[in-house]
Amino acid sequence: MRVVIRNLSKSYGLLWALKKIDLDFQSGECVALLGPNGAGKTTLLKLLSALLYPTTGEITLDDQRLHQGSSALRSAIGLLAPGEHFYEGLTLKENLRFFNSLYSRVKSPQEIEQTLDTVGLRNWSNDYVSSLSSGMKCRLAIAKCLLLEPKLLLLDEPYGVLDGNGVDLLEAYLMRLRQHGGIVVMATHHVSRILTICSRAIILRRGSLIFDEPRQEPWESFQRTFAEFLPRGEKWNS
Amino acid sequence: MELLKQTLWVLWKDLLLELRRRESILAMFFFGTLLLFVFHFAFEIPAEKAAEMAPGLLWLAFLFTGTLGLTQLFQAERENHCLDALLLSPMDRASLYLAKVFFNLFLMLLIELVVFPLFWVLFNLAFWNLLPSLFLVAFLGTIGFCVLGTLFSAVTLKARARELLLPLILFPLMIPVILATVRGMEIILRTGKFEEAFSWLRLLIGFDVIFFTVGFLIFEWVIEA
Repeated sequence: MRVVIRNLSKSYGLLWALKKIDLDFQSGECVALLGPNGAGKTTLLKLLSALLYPTTGEITLDDQRLHQGSSALRSAIGLLAPGEHFYEGLTLKENLRFFNSLYSRVKSPQEIEQTLDTVGLRNWSNDYVSSLSSGMKCRLAIAKCLLLEPKLLLLDEPYGVLDGNGVDLLEAYLMRLRQHGGIVVMATHHVSRILTICSRAIILRRGSLIFDEPRQEPWESFQRTFAEFLPRGEKWNS
Repeated sequence: MELLKQTLWVLWKDLLLELRRRESILAMFFFGTLLLFVFHFAFEIPAEKAAEMAPGLLWLAFLFTGTLGLTQLFQAERENHCLDALLLSPMDRASLYLAKVFFNLFLMLLIELVVFPLFWVLFNLAFWNLLPSLFLVAFLGTIGFCVLGTLFSAVTLKARARELLLPLILFPLMIPVILATVRGMEIILRTGKFEEAFSWLRLLIGFDVIFFTVGFLIFEWVIEA
């Protein structure tokens, strides 16, 4: 899979959330999407997941332009947003069954049970989503991704709600996805965590791309660029 | 085939959620019966005026009750960004429209099954034998209400004051449906013959077909806007 972003801009009225972004993502990459609040990270994720459409520019997935109506491409894209995208009045199993059916995935009840077991939610499979904690909802989102098998996985701040086991589970899944040729793009503020697994980092500031480099050791250019976003008096500690 | 499957899945989800929460159906049922009692205390329908007054009052009750249901139609999708989850999927957007139309129609018909006989009893009306014909006219009117209402419920989905906006946009566009349904029912009540109302029924069927087709075709642009 290859994702190409060319001259991508997005405005909300008079406010430009993204300005002329050019990026290429290759198979097996794990990209850390960083930047302060309001930098345009979530907008970029929404554009990549076709929840928003660009004001100018375009996104192509394997040479096919992502646009309204490109439903075949949508099955290759997953968005993991903790605590969101599940019906609270349905049980865990019902939610997974429902979303699987929309993706035309044929999964048996046993496969769904098995996946819930993998993410440690088997005992809650018949409970309503409303009864889950934020961390458990994030695990459920991982289960959904495991079943839907996206090739481009977008994550919006997943670390904040996961416990230690949950983080291990997520990172093991991300690693497996990359080994199978998938692309991971994660927006997060947990920089030290994402730097251990990413292969590349991009930094946005006020909608512009100000940094884009593959991971290196040591990574002074990153430390220099990122230092300005750290809280006052805090020093970068990789 | 895929469209039908996806429609059934969304419909299954909506029915299951409604069965568990019973928010829309209970609110619509109580509001509908409440309106009938208000009408009962406010108006007295003499037997010779029944044909003129009953259809209008009945449709007023259906219209207000139905609007209440429409404001709740996408409530489940508004919670937890579930609409985004649906839009992320490769599902045909028209299947969401179909499922919501059928779900809304189901709720409205349930309400009408209760409200119709109750109206007859409260106003002590005769012509019980005409009830099936009247119900058929109301059914065609309800389809028109649901196909257009579902579309505009989606249009106002992201609006701030959507509960206010929806009837303001919807009611003027519903005039042909209201007119045809009320006139059709009035003719049946006055003449006792179903055939006499055919011209109004043709208008109703035309409206239903046109707006169903329009809704089906443009829903993707409406919901993703």
